[in-house]
Amino acid sequence: MSDQPKPANAENVVVEKELSFGPVHPALIEPYRIRLFVNDEIVEDCEINMNMVYRGVEKLLEGLPVERALLITEKVCGICSNVHAWNSVRVIEEGLKIDVPERANYIRTLTHEVQRITSHLIFFGHAFEVVGHETFAMRSFLLRETFMDILAYVGGNRVMPSVPIIGGIRPRADLTEGLKRAILERVDEFEKKYTEYVNRIVADPLVMSRLTGVGLLSKADAIKYHATGPTGRASGWDFDLRRDMKEYKSFDYNIIVLQDCDNKARVVQRALEIVESLKIIRQAVKNLPEGPVVNRSWIAGRMDFYTALLESYRGELMHSYALDGQGMIRSYKIRTPTPANLAAMEKACVGDHVTDAILTIASCDPCLACCTRAEVVESGRGRVMSDTEIIRKYGWRR
Amino acid sequence: MGVLSFLAGIIASSVVASIIAVLYSLVLPGIERKVQARVQQRIGPPILTPGWWAVLKFRYKAKTEPIAQMPGFYKSIVYLGLGVVILLFLFSTPYWWAVLGWGSILGLAGLLKLEEVLYVLMGSQSQSILSTSMPVPDLAKGAKGEGIRREFVEQHSAERALKMMAIGSIPLYLALIVPFAAAKSGLLSSVVALQNPAYSAASWFSLPLPSSPILFTVPGLLAAVVYFVGYVMLLNEKPFSILKAKIDVIEGGVLEYAADLRAVYYIMRNLLLFTLSSIFVTLFLGIPFDPFMPLLFILNMLLSLIMPVALAIFVAFSPIFTFRQIYPATIGLSALGVLAMILAASI
Repeated sequence: MSDQPKPANAENVVVEKELSFGPVHPALIEPYRIRLFVNDEIVEDCEINMNMVYRGVEKLLEGLPVERALLITEKVCGICSNVHAWNSVRVIEEGLKIDVPERANYIRTLTHEVQRITSHLIFFGHAFEVVGHETFAMRSFLLRETFMDILAYVGGNRVMPSVPIIGGIRPRADLTEGLKRAILERVDEFEKKYTEYVNRIVADPLVMSRLTGVGLLSKADAIKYHATGPTGRASGWDFDLRRDMKEYKSFDYNIIVLQDCDNKARVVQRALEIVESLKIIRQAVKNLPEGPVVNRSWIAGRMDFYTALLESYRGELMHSYALDGQGMIRSYKIRTPTPANLAAMEKACVGDHVTDAILTIASCDPCLACCTRAEVVESGRGRVMSDTEIIRKYGWRR
Repeated sequence: MGVLSFLAGIIASSVVASIIAVLYSLVLPGIERKVQARVQQRIGPPILTPGWWAVLKFRYKAKTEPIAQMPGFYKSIVYLGLGVVILLFLFSTPYWWAVLGWGSILGLAGLLKLEEVLYVLMGSQSQSILSTSMPVPDLAKGAKGEGIRREFVEQHSAERALKMMAIGSIPLYLALIVPFAAAKSGLLSSVVALQNPAYSAASWFSLPLPSSPILFTVPGLLAAVVYFVGYVMLLNEKPFSILKAKIDVIEGGVLEYAADLRAVYYIMRNLLLFTLSSIFVTLFLGIPFDPFMPLLFILNMLLSLIMPVALAIFVAFSPIFTFRQIYPATIGLSALGVLAMILAASI
């Protein structure tokens, strides 16, 4: 056994073999590559490479008039389309100090929370598919329909509602009295079914035996790898950008932080966040201020490099760009939560069984299509490094 | 003349029983999927689609050569598997009870074990593209794990199949022993005679019903529970589907079977589904599948539906177990099986 090779960053660990999954693997919802270094069934080390779907979004945005950026930023991701659109307009609004009407902020927040629920329910669907519990997965997709409908009511589209524009929201996304009533009714109806659903999950000993004590990510590791969003909060790291966002100042809700650090915590974290989102949605509908929904009195001009951060459904989302004198975009940068979360999962899945390790990786709710931005050549060593590797090696600086 | 008529009888009964069993077993996956779908508030596929039409569809698909270490051997395993399952079914039918003691606990357990070995062989042979060493930068540019042996996911599935063979199927065998222990004999004929004395003297058109089924005794009930879970284990269904867990090991070692081979695999799997159910009805209710007694074999077939339907509901509410859960589950069930055996022997 002493002749067995060892993984690069481990000591006194025997690795019997490597199992690699992806990028061509029917069970991976998106193309990424997982290399597990295992001893029998136990994962001793892991490497995730996600640079398989480089789409050049930032390059497409270069040189575009800023008002046309939405056409592309909303399509960065299908599950979190609204969050990319919103953060994209927040950059110029904050950079050029454009006022946004309060009514528009409420509707933006409402749409954001509605899509947070759809995103978390997709996570349940995926997580329970990975656990192998098809019924819970199917129920989750069934429940999600309520909020897909609400997105369509508000924005006219279930996937790309296109609500935010620079200076407010599209006038067609304004809420009428009838629509407000319909949203509240659907939310009430959803809450009953959802409570029953979550209670059943938590009471299911078979499912809980798969989730509990697996995929441990300590608070220290969560901070070290900057595991953002629900992934970090489920490891006890109390960090949520919504606290600092002016759009959320008028809402009463709780930031959920759990201490269990395992896969169960990451599932329960999202389950509880949905409840908080429901609170915000209700408040947004009931307390919706009167007034205009868009401010059109702005002119795009020169803007220095500006960064906007937003608490998206998976964690911290960064959009950043500068404008030239004609209002054309220069140097657009998007940073999604998944690279940081996946790097943390490389650590969290060590010690798991192989089947559990895939679940652990899925428990950070990875979204690959929107996270792959670039590969960096590390000088001196002549090798291409993935985003994950960069974070693992150098940490993440804001 | 006596030997000739016996041979003619055994051949005729085997042909009739095999045809009926294969045709009927192909309906079961449709029922199974439909039940699962209804549990999940879905419509589900038409009943004949997952069995009948799937097999016909694969029959007419373009044939591809499987990527395997020994393709010829790999291809033959599935036919061997089908043969084993057909024999297993035939050994549970009355004409075979008189042949060299094959209709006994040894015949049944031996063939079941052989069927399990085939999964190990399939897994160790298959080498699908899913884990082919790809020329991706993670290996070429000096990332982690250089020099470490890379294993095909199917080979990992074979290792899991070996573990399941060693420990996972023990409950089923313990449960199988219980009716034989109650009958104090290793022969199927004795087990049926104990529960259904009228059967041996019944005419071809009659329906001899059991007078004292083992299922309705305490050891029988315990053994039935253990048998059912063992049945799920042997069929590699959730929660014991670790050797084809989907998220890591897709379909285990059968991944490279396509077209005809996939069709044969489907027939094998579905026939096993029916055979194990039919054996349960024979052993625990004393109603054998006698191909020359239409009412009796129809009753056997109808009662054989209970297990696949229960399986579908069980699967719909189960996650996949890892070995962390499988080991304790097996130990607990085995203990229950041993208790049932002791109780059965002491009655």
